[in-house]
Amino acid sequence: MRDDSSSVARLVARAADGDQAAWNEIIERYAPMVWSICLRYRLSSQDIEDVGQGVWLALVEHLGDLREPSALPGWLATATQRECLRVLRAARKYDRFGPVPDELPHPAADDAMIEQEIIAAERNAALRAAFSELAPRCRELLSMLITDPPRSYAEISTILRIPVGSIGPQRARCLERLRRSRSLSAFMDGESMPARVRASGGKTRA
Amino acid sequence: MRDDWDDDQLLAALGEAIRARDTVPARFIEAAKNAYAWHNIDAELAELTYDSSRDESLSAAVRSENASIRALAFTSAHFSIELEVTEDSLVGQIIPPREGTIEAQTGAGATTATPVDKMGFFSTEPIPASPFRLHYRTAEGTDLVTGWITL
Repeated sequence: MRDDSSSVARLVARAADGDQAAWNEIIERYAPMVWSICLRYRLSSQDIEDVGQGVWLALVEHLGDLREPSALPGWLATATQRECLRVLRAARKYDRFGPVPDELPHPAADDAMIEQEIIAAERNAALRAAFSELAPRCRELLSMLITDPPRSYAEISTILRIPVGSIGPQRARCLERLRRSRSLSAFMDGESMPARVRASGGKTRA
Repeated sequence: MRDDWDDDQLLAALGEAIRARDTVPARFIEAAKNAYAWHNIDAELAELTYDSSRDESLSAAVRSENASIRALAFTSAHFSIELEVTEDSLVGQIIPPREGTIEAQTGAGATTATPVDKMGFFSTEPIPASPFRLHYRTAEGTDLVTGWITL
């Protein structure tokens, strides 16, 4: 993944160079992680929007000088955590009925959570990219199989007009293509590399 | 992801990945994409170099006496901008002094322009909504932006 045109480092370089499409791709990949970290801090949706704004503006500002562009997910996670804590501190200052200081999340205790979020974000981004590489027919079938609650084979058979008996074999074939897709195999190769460098996150803002 | 994931595990992981994306509101994604509008590869960046609210050397007495004024400084290779934030206005000084324009840009996209006089002085009111940054330009081609400011 690191060597092909869609690697994180390439996306960062292209975005720093003025390519809006590369920026959008970064957002599609990592906005879910920013959102998810905010939920972990139990922020309101208004506060989450503030955090998002702070994180993306910091990234826009530092696109050209990230020390380790390939560690962008770690940088974003750290920047998100910092913004969440800033919002929580601000709320505590103005809301006398807010949580007492001891109940506020402790940054050090949250490092494991942040680490998990980074790993999940990279896995999810690779899976979504692999999914988008599949033929429409496979995407349709797999989409139906991952709904919650899952659709019955009888329903799928009616909607896709395929015999119930062929759903199982098609499911297996589509999953095999997913497994062998460029994005997912590149991700698996990447995973055997040494642990990712955890970047220090965006510089402090006023 | 592991090679030994079976079909059920792979399908579950795919479901999780798709849902993680689908639960994010469209406007959150849109706002994030729009933030790129502030990307400016030409302007020189002036970084925050002083913030009175973080100055440990100020005694508690001095701090509370001046609680209503916050002082900030931004510095680049060629310029610095000193800023004082009072209750309802923003007062600043460009060093070295040069006539020009200061534009306050908010993260939400609003802008207000204020002239900078020959002494390098400017004043803007009301205080822009946070976060915002200042963009300083002169007729001679100076093009400087500060880091984002959250008050």
